[in-house]
Amino acid sequence: MAIASNALRAASTIVMLVACVAGARSAAAQSDPSAWPDIETKYVFGYTEGATIGLEGEKEVSWETSARFGKMGGHYTATETKLEFEHTPTQFFQFEFGPLLASHDIRNSAGLTDTRQFGFGGLFGELRFLLLGRGPESPIGLTVSVEPNWRRIDETSGARVTNFELETKIAADTELVPNRLYGAVNAIYEPEWTRDDTGAVTKESTLGLTAAVAFRPIEPLLIGAELGYYRHYDGYAFDTYTGDALYIGPTFYLKLTPKMFMTAAWSAQVTGQDVGSAGPFNLAEFSHHRAKVKLAMEF
Amino acid sequence: MILKTIMKTLTTLLLTVAVAGLAAGGARAQEKTATINISIKDHKFQPAEVKAPANKPLLLRVKNLDATAMEFESVTLRVEKVVAAKSEGTIRVRPLAPGRYKFIDDFNQSATGELVVE
Repeated sequence: MAIASNALRAASTIVMLVACVAGARSAAAQSDPSAWPDIETKYVFGYTEGATIGLEGEKEVSWETSARFGKMGGHYTATETKLEFEHTPTQFFQFEFGPLLASHDIRNSAGLTDTRQFGFGGLFGELRFLLLGRGPESPIGLTVSVEPNWRRIDETSGARVTNFELETKIAADTELVPNRLYGAVNAIYEPEWTRDDTGAVTKESTLGLTAAVAFRPIEPLLIGAELGYYRHYDGYAFDTYTGDALYIGPTFYLKLTPKMFMTAAWSAQVTGQDVGSAGPFNLAEFSHHRAKVKLAMEF
Repeated sequence: MILKTIMKTLTTLLLTVAVAGLAAGGARAQEKTATINISIKDHKFQPAEVKAPANKPLLLRVKNLDATAMEFESVTLRVEKVVAAKSEGTIRVRPLAPGRYKFIDDFNQSATGELVVE
């Protein structure tokens, strides 16, 4: 609880500070949107990714924390932080990698052991291939990505495990109104293999479809909304359907300087079904709320 | 079974992209590169609108005539390059479809220009 409260308080403070910066910058910003610099869309849609892959030669370091709140009763907060290095070596390919930090604060949540911990969670990487670049060449941007993860701490329970996950994603985006309104959709397939400390192996997979829009009221700021629908299965090949969840929430992106930006997103599960339980939400496989904050610096 | 089909489709897709990329790269190497000269002076691009031929690889030669460094950047061209004060930088750009491609000096974003490909 304390970790989550501190993280939320810090995030609120950052958001208020950057809103002040945005206000000051907007006063000086040009009011004609056609004169605004083009924007890279990868991070402007919250959990949904835009299709840009950065600029050839660009390098970036970032801190990104994703938090999940609320499971089946009691108190549940889990976070995963990516410390990320990202590079775009060509106009068609981008990669990123880094360590994962995990925290869990669980008390009296059904089916989970009480835990309060923070530590090194594993490693991740991501390869992104641009199939279509948005601009004069195409009204739509299209990117395929694969993100392998190795985790030593279970994302949900915080227990010691060996876990491998491969998130594969197709991201498409477009500019709905030039320099003002952007839209994106993602299709996700995420198989996962986990061995717990008793040696038992679990194979599972998640399918996802997300859609988002982002509006640019002033040059450095985008605010938007996104919708995410996820289906969970036992087995890699959709062997047994176990439940689904639908999330809706707002998104925020702010360019702090030409080389620094921050993003924030929050989503709530508005409906979901866990096979075998009658509740209006699926809290067995998904959390009730989720939020993320990212701060990045290019060089 | 479904997983195998998905993996096969994904592998085929990635291989197709890789082969298409290599083929395009080979074909590109045989095409003649067009050199485009752009200067920046007093934090303004000269000229601010530059013409370039469509469907040919481009070599952008960016001359910085100012006493401070600049960064040539374009989201639609998908390139960026820092050019030190009183020096020159070159940037290779893929063959482009006709259209207007914005560029800026990222260190001084009031400096803007457009590459007009036709």
